[in-house]
Amino acid sequence: MATTAPPKDNTVEREAERWMNDPYEHFGYHNTRIHSLPREEVEAVQLAAMNLRLKERRGEVQMLAKLADAQGIDEVSSLEGLAPLLMPHDIYKSYPTSLLAKQQFGKLNGWLGKLTRHDLSGVDVSQCDSIDSWLTKIRDETLLDVGASSGSSGTCSFYPKSKRDYRLSMMGMRVQLAQKFGEDPQPGDIDGKIHAIIPLYKDGHASMGAFGKYSCEIFAKGDPDFWHYCFDFKLSSDLMWLAARLRAAAAKGDVSKVDVPATLLARRAEWEQQQANMPAQQLAFVNEMIGKLQGQRVFVMSTSNLLYAAAKRGLEEGLSGVFAPDSVFMGGGGAKGVPLPDDLEEVIERFFNTKRMISSYGMTEMNSFSVLCEHDRYHVLPWVTPYLLDLDSGQPLPRSGQQTGRAAFFDMTAESCWGGLVTGDLVTIDWDHPCECGRTSYAMEKKINRVSEIQGGDDKISCAATPGAQAEAMEFLTGFGG
Amino acid sequence: MMAKRPISYAVLRGEVVETDLIEFGGRGGDITFLAPDPHKIADRIPLASPRLMEDMYSIPFDGILDYLAELGPRLELSRNPYMQEALEYSYDTAPSTKPIVDAFYHDLPFMFDKERIRKMVDFNIGIDHLEGWVEQQLNGCTVGIRAYGSRQLHIVAGNGPVLGALTVIRGAVTRGDMIVKVPSNDPFTTGAIARTMVDMAPDHPITKHLAVAYWRGGDEALESRIYQPHNIEKICAWGGFASVKHVTKYIQPGIELISLDPKRSASIIGKEALESPETMAEVGARIAADFAPGNQVACSSSRLVYVMCGTEDEDIEKLKQLGQATYDAMMSLPEVISTKPKRYDPDLKRQVDTLRLNDDFYTVIGGKDGEGAILISHTSDRVEFWEYLGDRTINIIPVDTLDEVLDVVDAYTQTVGVWPDNLWDTVRHKGALHGGQRFVELGYGFNGAGLVGPQDGIEPMRRIVKWIVSEKPSADKVPLWGDTAKDVKMLA
Repeated sequence: MATTAPPKDNTVEREAERWMNDPYEHFGYHNTRIHSLPREEVEAVQLAAMNLRLKERRGEVQMLAKLADAQGIDEVSSLEGLAPLLMPHDIYKSYPTSLLAKQQFGKLNGWLGKLTRHDLSGVDVSQCDSIDSWLTKIRDETLLDVGASSGSSGTCSFYPKSKRDYRLSMMGMRVQLAQKFGEDPQPGDIDGKIHAIIPLYKDGHASMGAFGKYSCEIFAKGDPDFWHYCFDFKLSSDLMWLAARLRAAAAKGDVSKVDVPATLLARRAEWEQQQANMPAQQLAFVNEMIGKLQGQRVFVMSTSNLLYAAAKRGLEEGLSGVFAPDSVFMGGGGAKGVPLPDDLEEVIERFFNTKRMISSYGMTEMNSFSVLCEHDRYHVLPWVTPYLLDLDSGQPLPRSGQQTGRAAFFDMTAESCWGGLVTGDLVTIDWDHPCECGRTSYAMEKKINRVSEIQGGDDKISCAATPGAQAEAMEFLTGFGG
Repeated sequence: MMAKRPISYAVLRGEVVETDLIEFGGRGGDITFLAPDPHKIADRIPLASPRLMEDMYSIPFDGILDYLAELGPRLELSRNPYMQEALEYSYDTAPSTKPIVDAFYHDLPFMFDKERIRKMVDFNIGIDHLEGWVEQQLNGCTVGIRAYGSRQLHIVAGNGPVLGALTVIRGAVTRGDMIVKVPSNDPFTTGAIARTMVDMAPDHPITKHLAVAYWRGGDEALESRIYQPHNIEKICAWGGFASVKHVTKYIQPGIELISLDPKRSASIIGKEALESPETMAEVGARIAADFAPGNQVACSSSRLVYVMCGTEDEDIEKLKQLGQATYDAMMSLPEVISTKPKRYDPDLKRQVDTLRLNDDFYTVIGGKDGEGAILISHTSDRVEFWEYLGDRTINIIPVDTLDEVLDVVDAYTQTVGVWPDNLWDTVRHKGALHGGQRFVELGYGFNGAGLVGPQDGIEPMRRIVKWIVSEKPSADKVPLWGDTAKDVKMLA
């Protein structure tokens, strides 16, 4: 059957290209405008961007080409249509572990190269003898700054993020955190130097290590006098990997089987030493900043517990309101198993002179952070298409009503990788009702669980081992074994 | 009219309880079922006094076998409405599919065969140890040892309906008093067996020494009442630690835990498997026979298959052929043995699909239709999600040496299938040192002695009995009194 092609209007595509390229610049770095776009318009641009990206990246990112070929998808006509092309986050750790253990960075490079549009084949990694040296080499010679993270299973995942991705990510943080929603940007919000206080590392390939230098670029506008970090060294990805493997092995009760290269073993003591003093050093650092930067506008990115400890002590000493009122505080939710005190927000707000401490939801594999609003919802930036997937079928749940499912995202701003990602997080979105805060953007409920935590039946007993069962077995059976 | 709702009956010492029903289950799309409120029957679950064990000793071993032999045929589906009902409901709760559950139910009466049980008991415990004191002269004494029935609580696994029947048999032949806590993935079968026992012989000691009930594992208020040394002596808990972890806090002197802890199984294969299309077909069939039966829900189901073929490109090409032969063999197994899984684990599917994109390092055969998949590693690495392999999914891994394989045989390893025979002695010996518990010829993991044998290294039958010692001095034993007392050496 012959169909007549509708007249081609490229307006949406052109808009999509601007969003994909640098959405913050396109919207004049204006937080309120960004979060006030009509949803229909946003979704039209998202759909156009998906097709543009798919066409472009398919020839550049080999793993995507394979996936799209297998699914037989060349173009999508709806947002849901892209769901089969969202890549599970596991893809970024899908290399054989022995390559890492045997330090075969050439092969790892080949594998990583299939996940990014940037060419890694020219990077000579033959002299690399550690994760750190491998990732540094890539960073030195390409546009990439690979994000490494270690999971509880003892494997390390590598996300071939570009430096531009990191900058865009950090800009999103500045735009969303420094401005108050509903108002125009204030002088200094966009262009001014803001002291960046990062009670973490100077450098590193994990987010925790990488944030420092990019926050220096974006918040401190590159001025080293405005960049304050606690640890004057690089967070080693090798040591993080070792730690993850040791933890995973310990959970299974067999540390002896962890095959640790001698070079790494030699650094273990150093790392343990660093770990041991870390909380005290961080507290001392925050206290030093309080003295040094009183009354100034600061951006603090830290864990809530650390800020709480510093604030509590400060208040006891009769101090309060130490930083300028337009300072920005971003706190992490605290480590698992570390309860947050009831008066956390009150104490921090009183001491640091801030209206509120802001949380955000994000991950290494995405550029765009979702910031928590005054009504406790994480707002997804318009250039990110959120999906909720059915836990059983993996199919997208209807984009209407209130739904809870496995979160997946398509971030059209991804500069290096494909941008479509299936996470391990269980998220709730009310698709129909815009948030009371006034933002039009889609909003995720504050409570986000790991999918793995909520799965597993009531009282189903099986004799076949699962890792959870094993870890619990160890914990409980060694507990009373004497 | 409301559809009839499934009931997990409590059967307490000859009495069927179907009152005070409350709802259980229903999480994660599971069906809900009704069971008597366990708190209302908590006092009737344990045996009131060890004194009440005496009646079990009024029956000779052959009398126990007679009872079981009479029970077996009564459990035949065609003549037993309780079993029919339980089967109907079990389709929803069982992890395996209808043809497999049907086959379990069909075969269940044969477990009660007299000679089969007699051999099982004699092999595992020794009938003479159950029937009386087995005496020997030792150090100037007549030392006797005897296996007594214990008051035992069984937290049964629900992989297959046979486990409840097996538990009933084991308890009866050891003259134990059994409390069976049924699992939510098999809440009906054991109750149906017990109801049949009540109909058959309501006052028989074996019937009176069985209490079957469902409660939610971890119901602390209930468990702390029952799990007391004055009620029970042994807790035999199958692998699921969701239940076991709650149990462990009740362990104290006077209560012994027999933990059939979670395990997994593997296969170790020599390079001969890749010699010809014929050997590949044979070995593929053997591998399939060791992982696919019952849809891989058992701990004895193989999940990791190591082939000592080397890791060069040509080796991998052959390994893919072996993988294809294995896949074909799996697909041609009769449906009473193996079927397309009931519900392919969506997380596993996601992982398998991810692996598909990574064809430099892995080859995936099958798996697109949720039927199961063969994952072939191109390096000596197992897949990252190897601990989650199930639903007829195995990982075939090439290795250069046996040592690489032995590194992954550990305390969580139950069965190891071995082929060809020239590997047998070495793998069995070295594997045992690493933690392997049961060694079988590849292809016979589900076609051997079965649970009639010692099961695995845990030997539950020997451990659910109490081993009691009696000592009497011989005539010439020097006493610890009188003039010669100082000459007695008090050796430990």
